[in-house]
Amino acid sequence: MSEHVNFVDILEPRRTQSGIFSFMSRNWRPQRTMVMDKYCSTQDLKDIVANSVYLDSIIEAECSRTGLSKEKLHQEVRNYLEEMGLDKKMHVIRWNGVFFLKICFMMKIKMFVNEAAVLTLKSKMGKNPVLFLPTHRSYADFCLMTYLCYHYDIDFPAVAAGMDFYSMAVIGRRMRETGAFYIRRTLAGDPLYAATLKQYVRTVVGKHAVPIEFFLEGTRSRSNKSMPPKYGMLSMTLMPFFAHEVNDITIVPVNISYDRLMEHSLFAYEHLGVPKPKESTGGFLKALRSLNDHFGNIYINLGAPLSLREYLHNDTSHSKETLKPVDLQQLTPDQFKKVQKIADYVITLQQKNTVATISNLLSLVLMQSLMKNRLLEYEELIQEVEWMVQELRNLGASVFENDVRSSVDRILVVHRSMMRLDKDRRLRLISGVLTDLSSEDKKKMKGHILQAQTMVVAVPIVQLQLYVNPVLHYIAPPALIYLIVQRQALSRDKLREDYRRIRKLLSHEFFHLEKDEENTFNKALDYCIQNRVISNSGDLYSLGEDTKLQYLLRWATWPALTTLLKAADVMTQQSSCGHKLALKLVQQRLESERVHPYCLSLEAIANCLSGLVAAGALVKLKGDQDIVYELVPDVMKESTILVNSILPSFSVDFANNFVVIDDKAISRL
Amino acid sequence: MSAAFASSSDSKMNNVENDNRTVDSVKKKSFGDKNKKNDTNANSSTVIKVKSVIPRRRQDLLKWYGWGYKDSMFKLGEEGATFTGNRYSIGGKILPHLSKWAIDNLGVDPTKPPTIPKIPTTFAESRLPEPIRLELEKIALVSVDGMDRLIRAHGQTLKDMSQLRSNSFPRIPDAVIWPESHEQVEKIVSCASRHNFVLIPFGGGTSVSGAVTCPAKEMRPIVVVDTSDMNSILWLDKDQLLAKVQAGIIGQDLEREMRARGFTVGHEPDSYEFSTLGGWVATRASGMKKNTYGNIEDLIVQTKVVTPRGVIEKSCRVPRISCGPDFEHIVMGSEGCFGIVTEVTLKIRPLPPVVRYGSLVFPDWESGFHFEREVARQRLQPSSIRLMDNEQFRFGQALKTENTWGGVLLDGLKRLYITKIKGFDPAKLCVVTLLMEGSAEEVKEREKKLNAIAAKYGGIPAGATNGENGYTLTFVIAYLRDVAIEYDVVAESFETSVPWDRTLALCANVKRRVRDECARRGIHKYLISHRLTQTYDAGCCIYFYFGHNTAQVSDPVNTYEEIEEAARDEIIACGGSISHHHGVGKLRKKWYTDTVSEPGRQLLLAAKKTLDPDNIFALANMAFEEQGNETIVKSKL
Repeated sequence: MSEHVNFVDILEPRRTQSGIFSFMSRNWRPQRTMVMDKYCSTQDLKDIVANSVYLDSIIEAECSRTGLSKEKLHQEVRNYLEEMGLDKKMHVIRWNGVFFLKICFMMKIKMFVNEAAVLTLKSKMGKNPVLFLPTHRSYADFCLMTYLCYHYDIDFPAVAAGMDFYSMAVIGRRMRETGAFYIRRTLAGDPLYAATLKQYVRTVVGKHAVPIEFFLEGTRSRSNKSMPPKYGMLSMTLMPFFAHEVNDITIVPVNISYDRLMEHSLFAYEHLGVPKPKESTGGFLKALRSLNDHFGNIYINLGAPLSLREYLHNDTSHSKETLKPVDLQQLTPDQFKKVQKIADYVITLQQKNTVATISNLLSLVLMQSLMKNRLLEYEELIQEVEWMVQELRNLGASVFENDVRSSVDRILVVHRSMMRLDKDRRLRLISGVLTDLSSEDKKKMKGHILQAQTMVVAVPIVQLQLYVNPVLHYIAPPALIYLIVQRQALSRDKLREDYRRIRKLLSHEFFHLEKDEENTFNKALDYCIQNRVISNSGDLYSLGEDTKLQYLLRWATWPALTTLLKAADVMTQQSSCGHKLALKLVQQRLESERVHPYCLSLEAIANCLSGLVAAGALVKLKGDQDIVYELVPDVMKESTILVNSILPSFSVDFANNFVVIDDKAISRL
Repeated sequence: MSAAFASSSDSKMNNVENDNRTVDSVKKKSFGDKNKKNDTNANSSTVIKVKSVIPRRRQDLLKWYGWGYKDSMFKLGEEGATFTGNRYSIGGKILPHLSKWAIDNLGVDPTKPPTIPKIPTTFAESRLPEPIRLELEKIALVSVDGMDRLIRAHGQTLKDMSQLRSNSFPRIPDAVIWPESHEQVEKIVSCASRHNFVLIPFGGGTSVSGAVTCPAKEMRPIVVVDTSDMNSILWLDKDQLLAKVQAGIIGQDLEREMRARGFTVGHEPDSYEFSTLGGWVATRASGMKKNTYGNIEDLIVQTKVVTPRGVIEKSCRVPRISCGPDFEHIVMGSEGCFGIVTEVTLKIRPLPPVVRYGSLVFPDWESGFHFEREVARQRLQPSSIRLMDNEQFRFGQALKTENTWGGVLLDGLKRLYITKIKGFDPAKLCVVTLLMEGSAEEVKEREKKLNAIAAKYGGIPAGATNGENGYTLTFVIAYLRDVAIEYDVVAESFETSVPWDRTLALCANVKRRVRDECARRGIHKYLISHRLTQTYDAGCCIYFYFGHNTAQVSDPVNTYEEIEEAARDEIIACGGSISHHHGVGKLRKKWYTDTVSEPGRQLLLAAKKTLDPDNIFALANMAFEEQGNETIVKSKL
């Protein structure tokens, strides 16, 4: 990303006396995504689906298979459609907008949008469906794009929402009326539901002239960084293109970065195994009160629109599927592979559009301070952050803030319950509160039951790590190169080989595309040489002299590598093990050792297990109730040796760290 | 032999070897579980699995030695004839006039016990080598049981029946295989190509041309591919009025499934209870109601055929295409010689709200004929319109069941009216039966117009019941041949298409020729009858029935065939065709080249060379020669 992106706070004009009401009650003529002779109402959409040849055929087949009556199955489809179908009520939207703005002001949010990208996109709309594919880091994501569309006179996106919201009183309904449609998390076991959803999504994309919005990652990323995408929803939305019902589909990757996540504390607990509370309106209202605080800036960065047609090189090849009625046309295996490729690619586009916030940079600096167990004075702090800005820009990240000092001050307010300056104006991380989990809570714990003391130490650091994570994908490649070289000087080929293997093992922890790796490696290597992290003479690469940068690179991937190694150790011992048990065992092992608290993250452990599967060290099998991993001893042994050889050694006392300050008075639970 | 197998194993099909998925997942299947097909992919699939009326062990339901259901047959007896079973309208009823008719017309002796053959116990050894059988078993269910092979060695020609009853086929298949899908058929064909054995596609076994009959001189192993397990409806599009169906589905299953959903295919050949979609395609079949729904070539949108050189399928599902010769027409009427039809996309229609029968009586054949011609000229044909000659009219009367007094009285009154008041000669009058479909208004309108035209040619309406009887008897008539054989009468039907201007002469000449041939051979008890069953702009279809008593004849089947051949010579001389819908098969090869011209024959041979160079589908129909031992040796030199 270039640094010249011009971000505009779109909430700014609303901060006037009657700014909210006049804006939300204005005459609104939105830009549609497609110009059509006749536009479908939300009821029309449901009727089209219910009367589609596809569902009729499914029902006929289902009824001949099970003997259930057609009327009953038709009714079931109707019920499913009522459950999932979106609605659009202008007055609800307007009132929601008022409500949204009120809350934003309560949260003291600024909503920065790269306006030029939005306007370019809008000017090109009208010819084919548009998909908004934002990152998903917070529940707030649901509202942001909708508000953005209202602001720029673009029709409201149809947003795919999980059933969790459906059951929420009032809110579930209101979300539907602002264009949300509901999807169940699992389609297994109910073919009729799956068919109804498939047809509904296809119909909304093909016949409803509004943008479609959904989250490729399928769920909020609890770690605040990219996760491997899910393919189901994208397959459904791209079907109208593959069936040639529409000429093209415009895919817009969107990155939403937050200075502060509303959910960061909940996420930290979830990482450690405390399950998320069920979404409820009561909980929402309770949460509202805690929103009267500073939440800082939100950056909505729209990436360059991707034309599906161009991406597939105008591929007009057609399959035997054309012989079917168009409604019955399904993705061929080859087309599904293309969908997977697109999904993976879009995730990397989201990453490229990451806006590195001062929140991220300050967290990096604070984490490093923790690692070093050394306190930073305010002035030192500012210098360190400025250095981080520079390094990240060198690594290709876009950092929006230029006035570091005032931004740091602002963030210190935003994150004042996480970090603060002590009386000597040194930056400190605020310690967690010792809370004993009830036995009820312990029963619900997803992993190993961690000791209360562990939790106290871990929660604030995991929380801090959440703000480090979004920029790690910039740092990871040079960091791994550095770690390999610091083991011993080696040739470029050997370096690349080890790099490739370790990247594969971490492919889920640090999402990347296999096919971009050659390029990523070359760039990272150049970066390391230019910045004197490593040096080369002839074909031999050895350590350089920039120890400051080296230190950053050394600790950045330390938690991930540690988790990976322990996961490998545990799996080597177990040789065959269910997924849930594996999480527990690895977590248990890590608790007993002096490691970075983020290593205890169940998500990180799961990512490492997936990485071991990707590398062939484990084989993943479907068991009766759970996924089962089987050991591949040779590959596992080689992998373990490799990870062990580059794992940096740190001895950090997180429990009694100078940087952590114990503020019992402040409770954040 | 082994050299012959080995030498043709180079790549015929390129997509088979690497897919051994089904090899691993093959299940032990038994004959009983025909409708329990593997349920993989059943989820959110549009495939409608059809439960067929006919079980995999056909002989459990169907007569092994004749036509149709086991429980349905004519029985002659002193106290009157009956038709057994309860599947047809006359089932279980006494037919008081039939025996007398049979005595009078065919010299039958109903007191004599019928000759019912004993179920065979010895069969030719299966020649299929063990390794090949094992290979096939990995693809689909295979049987080498003697009875399974015997009942699939033939169609329904007179010769077939005669050889079947005496278990004297020179050659029967060596194994039967039941594929369930297009993919399995591909594997079977590939296996046959690799090992150089013969495949015979088998649907309902109702062929009356000898097309499906096992080639007698074939030396290679013969495997019958029974398509009856491929009977799913793959999809049904009620908007487009199209369905894609696996080709092994039998007519009555297809029609029942469609009707249950408010639709009809409307293709009803007289064999449709037993014949299959694939069979219709392979013979260019014609259905009774073609005036409304079209013949098979009008019904088909698309076919998918597995040949030894790959799959022929058009790449688009379009109503019409201008793209050189239409290869669907290479498939239609290919009589199993090029490959196996696996899937067919066909048109369906909404069920008509009103179905009405009608009948008209004409003083004689000629006036009935001119009526039909006029109806065709005005293109006013209802779904079906048929003209029966006097012999058939009287035979129809002989099949009447015992009636209530009222019914008999009414019949009496009608007869009185027709013969006395209108002055029709009972020995000359002919009947037209009508089947009308459409909205109530359309049907009424059409009936009015038809009656008006009939009046012009001296015809008078004779009521709906007569019409309905005519059509319900259609399916029963096929059972007559069995009872005939049991009482020493050989009988068969044959048909032709002919231009309008030559029809009357053709009918008269053929009847005359048959009578002469019978007289020459001293046959005095025989029946020759005809009817006009289909009308077109340019002509019509004439259907002949011929049967004779065999008391005076040493070789009844041969004699019959000689007379039929003479009749066909006459037909062709009079401007008729080799066949309207039965096909060429092995019985009518003699007239094939003359019909299509020599370049036409060369074209057929070229198509064979392209699609099936190793003659895997060695059925020897149409212009193809049977392949004996010598030809194999020659071709391998």
